[in-house]
Amino acid sequence: MLPAEFVARCKRHRVVLSVVFLLIFPLVMPFKAIAVNILIYGLFALGFNLLFGTLGLLSFGHAALFGGGAYACGIAIVHYGAPWWLGIFAGLLGGMLIAAIIGALAIRTRGIYFAMVTLALAQCVYFVAYQASDFTGGENGLRGIDVRDINLFGLHINFVDPLNRYYVVAAFVAAALFVLSRILASPFGAVLEAVRENEARARACGYDVRATRFVAFVISGGFCGLAGALQALHLSIVPIETLYYQTSGLVVMMALLGGMGTFFGPFIGAGVFLLLENLVSLWTVHWQLVVGAAFVACVLFFPRGIWGTILLGRAK
Amino acid sequence: MATSKLTRRSVLAATSILAMPAVLRAQDATIKIGFPVPLTGPYGTEAKDQVACAQIAIDDFNAAGGLAGRKAELLVRDDKLNPGEAATRTLELIEKDQVNFIAGSLSAAVQLAVNNVAKQRGVIFNSISQSDQITALPDWSKTTFHEAMTPHLTAGAVGRYAFSKFGKKVVFLRADYAYGDEMVDGFKATGASMGIEVLADLKHPLGMTDFSTLLPRIQSLKPDMLVLCNFGRDQQISIKQATDFGLKKTTKIVAPILLYTSRVAVGPAAFEGVIGGTSYYWGIEANTPSAKIFNDKYRKANGNKLPSDYGALGYAGVRSILDACLRAGSVETAKVVTALEGAKYDSYKGGQEMRSCDHQSVQSVFIIESKSKDMINEYDVFNVLATDAANADNLRSCKDEGHA
Repeated sequence: MLPAEFVARCKRHRVVLSVVFLLIFPLVMPFKAIAVNILIYGLFALGFNLLFGTLGLLSFGHAALFGGGAYACGIAIVHYGAPWWLGIFAGLLGGMLIAAIIGALAIRTRGIYFAMVTLALAQCVYFVAYQASDFTGGENGLRGIDVRDINLFGLHINFVDPLNRYYVVAAFVAAALFVLSRILASPFGAVLEAVRENEARARACGYDVRATRFVAFVISGGFCGLAGALQALHLSIVPIETLYYQTSGLVVMMALLGGMGTFFGPFIGAGVFLLLENLVSLWTVHWQLVVGAAFVACVLFFPRGIWGTILLGRAK
Repeated sequence: MATSKLTRRSVLAATSILAMPAVLRAQDATIKIGFPVPLTGPYGTEAKDQVACAQIAIDDFNAAGGLAGRKAELLVRDDKLNPGEAATRTLELIEKDQVNFIAGSLSAAVQLAVNNVAKQRGVIFNSISQSDQITALPDWSKTTFHEAMTPHLTAGAVGRYAFSKFGKKVVFLRADYAYGDEMVDGFKATGASMGIEVLADLKHPLGMTDFSTLLPRIQSLKPDMLVLCNFGRDQQISIKQATDFGLKKTTKIVAPILLYTSRVAVGPAAFEGVIGGTSYYWGIEANTPSAKIFNDKYRKANGNKLPSDYGALGYAGVRSILDACLRAGSVETAKVVTALEGAKYDSYKGGQEMRSCDHQSVQSVFIIESKSKDMINEYDVFNVLATDAANADNLRSCKDEGHA
């Protein structure tokens, strides 16, 4: 058992620890592209978890925020010749904008109705992107997001090199982790948890529950949009599948697998899921069976998720 | 302690020994060909056959001594019919496995994703599934090649045959996505000069299971032919239900791509008399020597079974690259591109040419009819009615595709 003091110190410096982890992570992965994917989906799950784990709202429409960010970034670069950093900014804003629209309509509902309304609105976004093929490439997806070099303050980085690409993405993820950590530690973060635990009481204490939910949804959209923009740069395409409801299901699965409501859980969930899928599908076409069984086992035996269970064991 | 002292000389010696294998590897390294195909998903059957066929091309190359002793190797990856997964797998193949070339893919969106990643890194990609975009700008690049047919070519060939034989009153039924749209456009472009009359142009969503609401409407229009622009399971179900409905008594059913695997899976009764196009049918071996050679190799490797249409493209896609390596005497991208451009070859279906301007393989299209009688074995499912000969005029012109 580690001394309590050490654990407390780790908790306080969770961002520093996460960044150290990010630095050595690509060296232990089977290949760099999957390490980048894990970061991106980890960030996506992190944004989702802000709503699901911290605020207690289960959204089934987060694909629209992730895909919206990806398309905003891609369209800015492909159709308007924007530089890479403007593309990322567009992705961030795109995610927040779609979150604001969906959020404004959906936060009136709660529980299963909230899940259904977000799902329906996200499907609307999917079909809009599907039909607007002049802009989005429609069925074939958006192609040609060709960012080869990154110039920053006189620094020249070859973005095609896999390790460079990883560290550029990791830098954004680290920044996002820092911001999220600050949000959760702020009074606003405490209000989020108060609303989750007891909505009536939070209202009685004078907090505007609806506004809290709306702001949390938009912030969540920012994180998801950033993840989407990074994916667009990483893969150099935006597949229409990014907006499909399966992507929404995927992020729910990742958050559950890692541990909802934990800071680092979503990354663990994304990592375990993508690695399992990747490695198992190398030796059998029945990879879905193995991944599905692992997920069922996790839900049955570790209802708090992998990271949540580890934290619980530590606390005992 | 003195014996284990680290001297500069011992360090140098140790590093040079460590570096040796790398030097050796560079000289007789295997030629790696990445092969992303959708082993899981609705086209799994076709994808597995593509792998089996591609392996034949690799084995042949190695048995003949390779490229001055350098052997070839096929690295198969499951793209799960998902462009994002395909892009990731392509990154893995290029960055980790350091493949020399990439062939494969079995959907329009997936091949465009693979192409985007490969062209950004200057790696040759030979696509083996249908798309009109991949040979056109802005998707096309100097390292992009397209071994398969295009929807424009397929619909044109089938249209020219069907409109001249079965009448001019046509109903289109398309799956509402890019494939269906491209095919219908192709048919209409061909039909315009032949004076066809489009009675109706109906759409159905992907993955439809019940066509009974559409069939009475189609029957009441009394068309000469019903053109089904859908694929895979949609195609199987719509043909089966149209047959049950009795539509075939008055109307000819035409499908631009009649899949060998679908026909084998569904059986003879439902497909009886359906007309379609294909890039390859093993039955052409009777008068095509290269097809006979390829079929025999496949029979030998796969217990007397016969290759499917899309499977054969797997063979052609890999073989074109390996043959170009032999002609170039090298695996260098620039030299192999030069060897591929304008290449005339006959590897499995008669003469083909890799058009220089857009890297599209100019090839023949076979018009086939599904049969239920006089089958010599369980794989004898089609009659070849006509061959639309290889002719660059049947393709979109390079100017249309945006090439200078």
